[in-house]
Amino acid sequence: MQRLGLALMEDDAVEDADLLRAHGAGDPHAFARLYDRYERACFQFIRRLLGAAHGDAAEDLHQETWIAVSRNVAGFDPAKASFAAWLFTIARHKTFDHFRRQKIAVLSSATDSALGETAMMVPDPGQTPLEQVQSRERAEEIVAAVEALPLEQRGVFVMFAQGGLSLEEIAQITGVALETAKSRLRYARAKLRQSLAGERSAHV
Amino acid sequence: MSDHGPAPDPMDKAYAQAEAMLDDEAAGAARRARVLGAVAREAQASTSAVSTPPGRRLAWGRGGWLAAASVAGVTALVAIQLYRPAVTRPEPPAAEASVEAAAAPAIAPAREPAAAARAPAPPRAPTSPFVASRAEMRSRRDDPVVVASPPPPPSFQTAPAAAPPPSPVTPPASADAVTARRAASPLAAARAPSAAMEASVPASPAVSAARLRAAAAAGRIAELTALLTPGAPVDAPDDDGETALMMTVQANHPAAAALLRRHGANLDLKNRAGVSARDMAASIGDPDLDRALGLAP
Repeated sequence: MQRLGLALMEDDAVEDADLLRAHGAGDPHAFARLYDRYERACFQFIRRLLGAAHGDAAEDLHQETWIAVSRNVAGFDPAKASFAAWLFTIARHKTFDHFRRQKIAVLSSATDSALGETAMMVPDPGQTPLEQVQSRERAEEIVAAVEALPLEQRGVFVMFAQGGLSLEEIAQITGVALETAKSRLRYARAKLRQSLAGERSAHV
Repeated sequence: MSDHGPAPDPMDKAYAQAEAMLDDEAAGAARRARVLGAVAREAQASTSAVSTPPGRRLAWGRGGWLAAASVAGVTALVAIQLYRPAVTRPEPPAAEASVEAAAAPAIAPAREPAAAARAPAPPRAPTSPFVASRAEMRSRRDDPVVVASPPPPPSFQTAPAAAPPPSPVTPPASADAVTARRAASPLAAARAPSAAMEASVPASPAVSAARLRAAAAAGRIAELTALLTPGAPVDAPDDDGETALMMTVQANHPAAAALLRRHGANLDLKNRAGVSARDMAASIGDPDLDRALGLAP
């Protein structure tokens, strides 16, 4: 499986589960190695789920997520899910709990269909400069477009594109059918194209 | 419309590049130090929270109880050996007293041992609070016998007095002898630990709460059941604000969690990090645990 941003994990022969077990047994370095493998993807996932309005909470939720991982070593079963899937499940729960505490209504997946077919009609631009991040400004536009996605689509897209999770894992994490996860990813990509194409035309 | 399924998509790559460009390495390093530090502190705190009660369990484990039983048994035995009833005779009627007053000086020394053997008296010097309380209870229990016993009839015999006529309320053997036999019997040694435990183990709320948390963290149902008496400090937190329910949720023990909930453990209390047992259960996402906590049907 391709895991963008987690090259270190692929180079490292030690399994995540072994590191977690070693941490549970008191190895002081095992947890740091595990953290280094997934920290960036996990933080960005939380950060993007929170969106710009609640980004300040990302640091705290990220820390709570890793503390929960540390506390619940015994609860991880490698036979049921990969460590990455388990980690993102915890991170997602933490984020949704934050929304609940803040009394923020979590938009349901009804927004998937609200996107409508118009977004799906946007042609795939292929290898155009759109995908080539040429400047910091462009990078911020892309991230802003991702944060503007409906919550569930955003989560699926970030987990797939940045976390490198498979659609099966994403379906498991979010508790939906595989086809639902797949369609959310499709809608997310389409809406991003639509959004970024609009911005590009506005700049021109 | 093209299919953008699980295959890599240029949009994915563009987003990954954007994140990489916006990534702040300094902030990431600071975050790493903070998170790993918090995890280390957390691990240390949970280790100390779980390891403290086992220290007490070692002290009062099986070996501890046996030692306590032995000490209590020996103490009781010594107390019984030292137990000598005082010469307390009921006051005779005034008329008889005057008759006895003339003859008694000659015969009293010969009669006293028998009277002493018959009539129990309050203990002289209890050796421990436990023994004192037991002896006091015995004394109270035996009081009616002393009061109900008729005063020994005035006797002018110089020989040792014969046993008094049996009374319906007088035990066949003296209370002392019965007590001594009881104390010397294996049953006394077997009874002693529980009484010694009641007397010598401080069941302060803090100790009870620490035991409860340790049992909850380890998922020891039998111990939890024993500790969860009415009024038990079920929600007492440790220094980190962690309650027994939080610990059992973190260790994912659904049965222990259900037991604590049945005894009124609060699901929404928060630890010092602001996390409640409900939050922890949500993080774990175990359906069994959720059902045990009443969070899922």
